[in-house]
Amino acid sequence: MPELEKPDLYALADDGRRLQLIMGHCTQCAKHHFPKAGYGCPNCGAVPEHVRSELGDGRATLLTFITLHAKLVPTLEVPCIVGEAQIADGMIEEVMLLGAAEQYRDGMALQAVAHEVTRGERSVLACRFAPAED
Amino acid sequence: MQTLNDMRPVYVIGVGMHKYQFASDTLYIDMGLTAVRGALSDAGIEFPQIESAHIGCTGIGMAAGRIMFNHLGSTGLACTQVENASASGSSAFQMAVLEVAAGRRDAALAVGVDKYGDQLRAVAKEKVNRLSDTARIPLVKYAIMAEYLKKRKGLSAEDLARVASKNHTNASKNPFAQFQKPRSVEQVLASTLVAGTTTSLMCCPRGDGAAAAIVASEGAIRRLGINGGKPIRVTASVLQSERPQVGREIPSVTLAQRVSEMAYAEAGITPDALDVVELHDAFAIEEILYTETFGLAPKGEGQHFLRDGGSAIGGKCCVNSSGGLIGQGHPLGPTGLGQIHEITRQLRGENGERQQPDAKIGMAHMIGLGSISIAHILQKD
Repeated sequence: MPELEKPDLYALADDGRRLQLIMGHCTQCAKHHFPKAGYGCPNCGAVPEHVRSELGDGRATLLTFITLHAKLVPTLEVPCIVGEAQIADGMIEEVMLLGAAEQYRDGMALQAVAHEVTRGERSVLACRFAPAED
Repeated sequence: MQTLNDMRPVYVIGVGMHKYQFASDTLYIDMGLTAVRGALSDAGIEFPQIESAHIGCTGIGMAAGRIMFNHLGSTGLACTQVENASASGSSAFQMAVLEVAAGRRDAALAVGVDKYGDQLRAVAKEKVNRLSDTARIPLVKYAIMAEYLKKRKGLSAEDLARVASKNHTNASKNPFAQFQKPRSVEQVLASTLVAGTTTSLMCCPRGDGAAAAIVASEGAIRRLGINGGKPIRVTASVLQSERPQVGREIPSVTLAQRVSEMAYAEAGITPDALDVVELHDAFAIEEILYTETFGLAPKGEGQHFLRDGGSAIGGKCCVNSSGGLIGQGHPLGPTGLGQIHEITRQLRGENGERQQPDAKIGMAHMIGLGSISIAHILQKD
């Protein structure tokens, strides 16, 4: 099994396909944030010791999406689809979508899934979002 | 907090530029000296009369200004390098303005000069990943916003192309601009598709260049014998950084609104009073968004303001008569000072075929990666 490309952001679920996002939860202000960094709470400024990790379910709501035509970063294979999705209440993140634009519509439910990509000489599991199956 | 209202008046007394151009072999010192000498000549003063200098640049390296000033005569002036990403020149200008306003100096120079550089960003050293590989590319964020507005507010690809066409056409009449060709809406739409409906001609180029402005107090203007009708007063200087995203609005756009409102309050004006605006149109969608957030057009109607010619030269408030970042160019360090150059010439009535009739008040606005937003209001006394 290839390694996760960004293990600080997500963990592989028991089914071996879905990804669960690693949220930060601050015990001082009781708010969640994403991504969880090692520097403390971005909402109230609490020190890192007050932030613990919580696994989300990897579900999201698609807000808008576009097709990227230009290879803006070396890892991109274009054309590809990127969009904005609400990954939790009030948390909007840019996400990469699996497959073609025709599969997607604004407001639909998404699921984070592991997608094997090549990085140099090795394969890794990257996070892509796909239409939720339930 | 003290504002310019609480301090002594500050005036722009001279501006100069070196043409913006694609990455070149031209030395930064040659470009910077051209802009500084242009500003000195415009003000009619000599370099030894400048007491401090603020140098905005991002891609040259440490101590760029001090090395450059060796070639103007080492006068011992105070010299500070300023880096604030795309807003480095604007921030250098703010430093010079505040020094004079506070009474610490009587005549100060702001110069922005840049080479293409290595594009190194501190965020790459943050060691915090994002889900999307393009999450830190502003173009993608703005292209997604353009798509959202297309679906929700009737914004079209033609509207984005109208912004680019206007700004390329303005640039074609500006000898300092990087792009020199007028472009039709059809030509903009037919250029290479980059992201969503955004094409290459809807995006600013990067490159090299320099721009400079000299500011002075009333006392210095009298002492130095500056032409009485020429100085342009700086009546607002505001810089803030963004807060976390709330809802769909891009944080830098929300921030730009807050900064413009603070600038209007500081200058004692309303947006209706603005005759010329130079704003951060790194991508065409930004000009439409900012004309709304600055109050030039009602929210959701920026494209109508554009379609009706409100932002054209001769319109209600001319936007980016220089060609903006899309047409004049965006070499980072100089960009904000290029805006001060354009507005100063507009308010003096010296802008030739790009002159906005009877221009009295102008605003310069930049966004710096991160994001910070900065605005200056200039007024003809």
